[in-house]
Amino acid sequence: MSPDARIWVAILGVGATGILTRCSFLLFGERIVLPPAIERALRLAPAAALAAAVAPSILVIDSGAVESIENPRLAAAIVAALVMWGSRQMLWSMAAGVAVFTAIRLLLAA
Amino acid sequence: MRLPQKPSAAFLLGLREMLPGTPAMVAWSLMTGVAMAKSGLTVGQAVGMSLIAYAGAAQLAALPLMVAGAPIVVSVLSALMVNLRFVIYSAALAPSFRTLPLKERLGLGYLVSDMGFVFYMRHDLVLRDDPMRKWYFLGLGLMVFVVWHVASLIGLLAATLIPTSWGLDFIGTLALVALLVPMLAAYPARVGAAVAAVSSLLLRGLPYKLGVVAAIVAGISAAVFAERQQRLSREP
Repeated sequence: MSPDARIWVAILGVGATGILTRCSFLLFGERIVLPPAIERALRLAPAAALAAAVAPSILVIDSGAVESIENPRLAAAIVAALVMWGSRQMLWSMAAGVAVFTAIRLLLAA
Repeated sequence: MRLPQKPSAAFLLGLREMLPGTPAMVAWSLMTGVAMAKSGLTVGQAVGMSLIAYAGAAQLAALPLMVAGAPIVVSVLSALMVNLRFVIYSAALAPSFRTLPLKERLGLGYLVSDMGFVFYMRHDLVLRDDPMRKWYFLGLGLMVFVVWHVASLIGLLAATLIPTSWGLDFIGTLALVALLVPMLAAYPARVGAAVAAVSSLLLRGLPYKLGVVAAIVAGISAAVFAERQQRLSREP
């Protein structure tokens, strides 16, 4: 498969997960009741998935090494997380993150 | 709360009640659009993904994997994990809508969203026997749907004017951080997220990006375990 076709198949796959999860119990709800243990696992899944997605893009640079203090992404993510924790305003959190990221990037470039 | 007993009026009420939720949605979908545009996909692919997937967090989680050439299964599995919360919403909404014909349940299901779910569930119990509830839900859901797609397309197209050297693909990560942080208020979720993050870093060398899948499984297991410990310690 060409790289382009692979991307499109993945896009369709991602779309299918949205439709399947959204419609799951609305379609079959009368026959299956969600056991409490499964419901707990489902409820805890998104936090784990987001953390697994976010960690490498914050901490790993292209060479594959885990980076430290000079990493603008790490500092920006920490600031964004703190602002989100305090304000619960996504926009403020992301604005703070972008500001820190850009400031450090420009300082490092200078 | 009682709905107006006319489909159009109940629908309009749904649209109107969602208005206070729109500023936050506009911000989030604009930013998702920007991140999509800067992800390494072509503009056509990014627009296609935004329209087809209709799941911001899942899109942003799957994107880096897709661009890095991970197997399709791995990208799709990560998206599925982020979307699993919809199964809960779907299960919670099912008692209200189980009497509707299949086609209508499919249509309403397609419109399930975080914001729409929260707004609808505020009135779920009182609305259970209201014949107009599907129109109200449709109003809520369609408002989210339209605002999301319009704002993310604006973000996506506007972002094509921003130079790649600004590194704004990082906005996708920041958006996921902002989504993750409120989830961390609960102890089991904190444990799960910590285990998933560390595993994802340690296992990043695994072929085909399988480390991400393993990290999610490890995180969920740890979170379930932590929750059980917490429950047991509370019981006398």
